Amino acid sequence: MRDALLIALPKGRLFDVTLDLFGRAGIETDRAEISSRKLTFPDRQGLYEFVALKPADVPIYVESGAVDAGIVGSDVLREFDCDLYEPLDLRIGVCTLVVAAPAGVTLTGQQHLRVATKYPRTATRFFAERNAHAHIVRLEGSVEIAPLLGLADVIVDLVETGRTLRENGLEPVEQVARISAKLVVNRTAMKTRNAAVRTLIASLDTVVYEDS
Amino acid sequence: MNGQSQGLPAGFRDLLFEEAEGRRRMESTLAEVFRSGRYREIVPSGIEFLDVYTRGNQVISERAFKFLDRDDRLLSLRADFTPAVARIVSSRLSGAGETFRIWYSGDVFRRVEPRKGGYAEFWQVGAELIGRNGPEHDCEVINLALECLTAIGIQDAAVHINHAGIFRGILNSLHLTDAARGRLKSEIDRKDARALATHLDDLGVAGHIGEQVRVLSRCIGTPDVLMDAAAVLEDGESQMAITHLKDVAAGLERWRDRITFDLTEIDELEYYTGVMFAFFSPTRRSTLGMGGRYDALLRAFGSDLPAVGFSLSMDSVMEGI
Repeated sequence: MRDALLIALPKGRLFDVTLDLFGRAGIETDRAEISSRKLTFPDRQGLYEFVALKPADVPIYVESGAVDAGIVGSDVLREFDCDLYEPLDLRIGVCTLVVAAPAGVTLTGQQHLRVATKYPRTATRFFAERNAHAHIVRLEGSVEIAPLLGLADVIVDLVETGRTLRENGLEPVEQVARISAKLVVNRTAMKTRNAAVRTLIASLDTVVYEDS
Repeated sequence: MNGQSQGLPAGFRDLLFEEAEGRRRMESTLAEVFRSGRYREIVPSGIEFLDVYTRGNQVISERAFKFLDRDDRLLSLRADFTPAVARIVSSRLSGAGETFRIWYSGDVFRRVEPRKGGYAEFWQVGAELIGRNGPEHDCEVINLALECLTAIGIQDAAVHINHAGIFRGILNSLHLTDAARGRLKSEIDRKDARALATHLDDLGVAGHIGEQVRVLSRCIGTPDVLMDAAAVLEDGESQMAITHLKDVAAGLERWRDRITFDLTEIDELEYYTGVMFAFFSPTRRSTLGMGGRYDALLRAFGSDLPAVGFSLSMDSVMEGI
């Protein structure tokens, strides 16, 4: 049995804010360790080991038990239908998943829509719930240029400030979901490492909700 | 064409030599444990009408490998053992007042999401005790499962025990629509205490019931947690469930170091009717097995018999042996 709880962190937009949050919760990591090319890096007290993964891979590692817990955006969780616990909303990486269309275009619900997105399942579900007929085009990135180039009529994508949308002549027309980072925990680890998991939840909860 | 004829579909594998021999040895050991417990073996058919699974557990039937027979009836590869045992007992063995102690060993087939890399065929060994009610029979089955795990060399197996009646009592007292009940169950299952409190507020659930749910979310540990729960629960069904678990605790005294009472889990599918349990090992990444009392299942097959059973996921059990 490994002693330290193994936690997956998402590379990319959430990485620094997550480490910062852990730091405020007294779970401190060493920058030099992180940038060294080792697979995992520990916190100073040795209670936790961290591994940095592509955000979309975090749920798979957590669900399978390869790691005990992870931090991942709720956009990724919705997309992958994961069998795990989500005990804490970390209220970081807050943004919105929206339908965005070229300025001036209104959605009547009757058009046949071509939708470009990195979230095909979420988008499919969203339009199906509205009985709108949507043809989903799955892209890996730079979704906002798809309408400009005529690949799609609208997009479903994350919006933080709305600047990228505006620069590409798009505006949000409907909210799909509010997104933030979540702590997720493997179902077996929650049982076999219950005390350690509860300590982690309590440490993070204290700093996330200290003002409320 | 060549690639197809020499490979296997995603989710499947062959067991060669050592792996096959290891499985054979383990099965022989388990057969001996069942024999000494007076359980008798059955080998259910490898194919059932799909209907057998939809009567049992909707989620499993959705994942079943389905196909049509010559009369266009929907068939399924064996996706679970328990519904097959229920069918067999109801159609071929049933008699009021009788008790059946049955065990089985074999493969079940469930479609997997390829992305997750899981197996679509996996080995299960399990047992069912049909026709008997009461905590002493729940204990018999939990005891049998722990003996099985010990016999095959898992000395650190632990069991988490719960009762479906605890949350069912609370949910029934709220008189929610099916949709609202479903949403509340998945909210409880997520284990986000803050989101759950907000959700209960939004539903207009009275504060003292919210408090019960909050206390239950911490009830995981020694039999003391049964006292903690009993101190706040008000619903009659929930209280009876706690009393039942106290009897189970008394009946499993010999395993006291291996038992955790875990009232934090909800049975989202509402498949279990009484005690429910899961087996873990601190040295294994997956659940070793699970089980519980499912008195409604045999009724779905036309015979009103109580039943309790367990199944072990042998792939998790064999990890690291």
